[in-house]
Amino acid sequence: MNVYTISPNELILITGASGFIGTRVVAHLVSLGFRNIRCFVRPSSRPDRIAQLRQRSGSDVNIEVIEGNLLSRDDCRRAAAGAKVVYHLAAGTGGKSFPEAVMNSVVTTRNLLDAIVGAQNIRRIVNVSSFTVYTNSNKRAGAVLDESCPIEDHPQDRGDAYCYGKVKQDELVERYGKEHNIPYVIVRPGYVYGPGKQAISGRVGIDTFGCFLHMGGSNTIPFTYVENCAEAIVLSGLRPGIDGQVFNIVDDELPSSRQFLRLYKKRVHRFRSYYVPHFLSYGLCWAWEAYSRRSQGQLPLAFNRKRWYVDWKSTTYSNQKLKQLVGWVPRVSLSDGLKQYFDGCKAGGSNA
Amino acid sequence: MLRVAIIGCGKIADAHAAEIQRIDGSKIVAVCDSEPLMAMQLADRFEVPHQFGNAHSLLEEVKPDVVHITTPPESHLSLAMECIEAGANVYVEKPFTLNFADAGLLLQAATRKGVKVTVGHDDQFRHVARRMRDVVATGYLGTPVHMEGFYCYNLDDPVYAKALLGDNKHWVRRLPGKLLHNLISHGVARIAEFLTGDAQEVIAHGFVSPFLRSIGETDIIDELRVIVNQGDELTAYFTFSSQMRPSMREFRIYGTKNGLFMDPDHETLIKLPGSRFKSYAETFIPPLQFARQYWSNVRTNFRTFLRSDLHMKAGMKFLIESFYRSITDGTPVPIPYREILLTAKLMDSIFAQLAEAQKLRVAESDLVCV
Repeated sequence: MNVYTISPNELILITGASGFIGTRVVAHLVSLGFRNIRCFVRPSSRPDRIAQLRQRSGSDVNIEVIEGNLLSRDDCRRAAAGAKVVYHLAAGTGGKSFPEAVMNSVVTTRNLLDAIVGAQNIRRIVNVSSFTVYTNSNKRAGAVLDESCPIEDHPQDRGDAYCYGKVKQDELVERYGKEHNIPYVIVRPGYVYGPGKQAISGRVGIDTFGCFLHMGGSNTIPFTYVENCAEAIVLSGLRPGIDGQVFNIVDDELPSSRQFLRLYKKRVHRFRSYYVPHFLSYGLCWAWEAYSRRSQGQLPLAFNRKRWYVDWKSTTYSNQKLKQLVGWVPRVSLSDGLKQYFDGCKAGGSNA
Repeated sequence: MLRVAIIGCGKIADAHAAEIQRIDGSKIVAVCDSEPLMAMQLADRFEVPHQFGNAHSLLEEVKPDVVHITTPPESHLSLAMECIEAGANVYVEKPFTLNFADAGLLLQAATRKGVKVTVGHDDQFRHVARRMRDVVATGYLGTPVHMEGFYCYNLDDPVYAKALLGDNKHWVRRLPGKLLHNLISHGVARIAEFLTGDAQEVIAHGFVSPFLRSIGETDIIDELRVIVNQGDELTAYFTFSSQMRPSMREFRIYGTKNGLFMDPDHETLIKLPGSRFKSYAETFIPPLQFARQYWSNVRTNFRTFLRSDLHMKAGMKFLIESFYRSITDGTPVPIPYREILLTAKLMDSIFAQLAEAQKLRVAESDLVCV
């Protein structure tokens, strides 16, 4: 399946190229033989990461770095000029702020899409979204979450700015795809882990009020190791015949929350955690949501049933579509991935 | 029903929209932002029926009773003037305008047109600030003698600080007082509230913190110390710091009889009695009295929480409600225009001194280079 939409010398743009996933996407493109890569990075990002990649790449590989801000249409035009494939990884977490999330995920994406429309030479844009956009509220416990799963229809009620931004970003990409005939692919990674990331997924539990509440229990956690994820993203931009498709990215071997936490404590550091059974966590989310509404937001809507469904309801995950249409296989096994991740956590300080 | 519009759909507009929705007798009828996606998101989340890309269309088509201006400060004057000319009452987010002269123009225009204006100094209307005002009104202080205000801001804030420090074109950098201009008005306004005259001597010293210098930032002053003197009768110290911990916003006011200590972060108000106990009693009784006062604050805050009124932006709701009441019932505006002008004047004076000092530093470094 080594047939790609572009030849090795054609220009590839990566936004968010110096980020946790972005650097791996660049490295993977280089390893596949692509020699003309443009990295779009914020002025405040870490230039050393791209510099290291440049050093490791051969002299025949051109890794161009453009510093800028996707909120600037001029910067977007500069970035998109001549690019045949665009990997759009840059996004804002927004913290708790919805306007920040929209500004840094939706407005930036619109600017980039407008620049792409203007450039008129694009073969594909790969929009990197997230599992967070899905809802599984109407599925039975343990059901499969795949690409056919519905998108959160009122993302503002999740109380999660990132989710809202990503839902609106995906809608925008699909609209531009239809209205301007931009070939696109949307990829939605699960929880991306690997060295360089310290956090424990909220699907496992939350570190709050001075203790760690283990919420996941026996739930499967939709992990994808950062190298595996980067390869899936890269291939989604290169495989012909998949325009307009959405792909979920999760690895094959997925641990349960309990298994992961046990390993984390053993390999990184020990800490006390308290398991919260699902019926109790659902009840607490329901009560928090009810109080938040009754008190008109005296407590923010941080915990609610919509969040419980996506984060803590028992769910299984599928990567069949990605494997069948893109030809991706996760190369790094769970045990190797976790070893790298735990070593990274140990070196950089743990998070619990 | 007051028909309300919001111009500027960024982060602070969220707080405005949330608080307006909690006020009976008001309804957000339109939002406006030059970036349509930002207007869309606010309208979407707060179920606002109309959205616009410019103020002119909004004012013409919707004719709101009140407009909240929550754009970056550079546009406050022109937008507020347009709203006033259209006959709308205006709530302008802080800082009110870029300088004292603009503040004067805006307030004159409002008075001429017969509409009302207020500024987003909502920190002065949080529960504890109102409690302090009530105590001062009883004459507890005697005649005010001295004030000490702290207004700290932790630059570890991942969203704001990262956006500002990582962007050389950030709008905050274009303000006359840069970072300070966007942040100190709450603290300065708190002092201005208790200043009675118009003539104040201001001595300001500002510098770039070692932390910012260490990351190559030389333009943003994030440490400020100010002395205000009103006719050798009433003085104030004001401190802004991004580095000191705790990152606090305390305020102390001392009079000829007693003093008051207000800590807005902990919603705590403590009376500082001017009288003393005899001998060793001074070391035992006052601490017990302070403990009792702190416990009383805990109970007050808990009761407020149970009433579902301890929101993070409770001060903003109170200010907006008071402003709306001034429009519907003809009561006085919650923040006197004199206080808005005095705050602007003090800030002008501070920024002028910082700019002058900066010029001197540059000239000195040029001399060293020569």
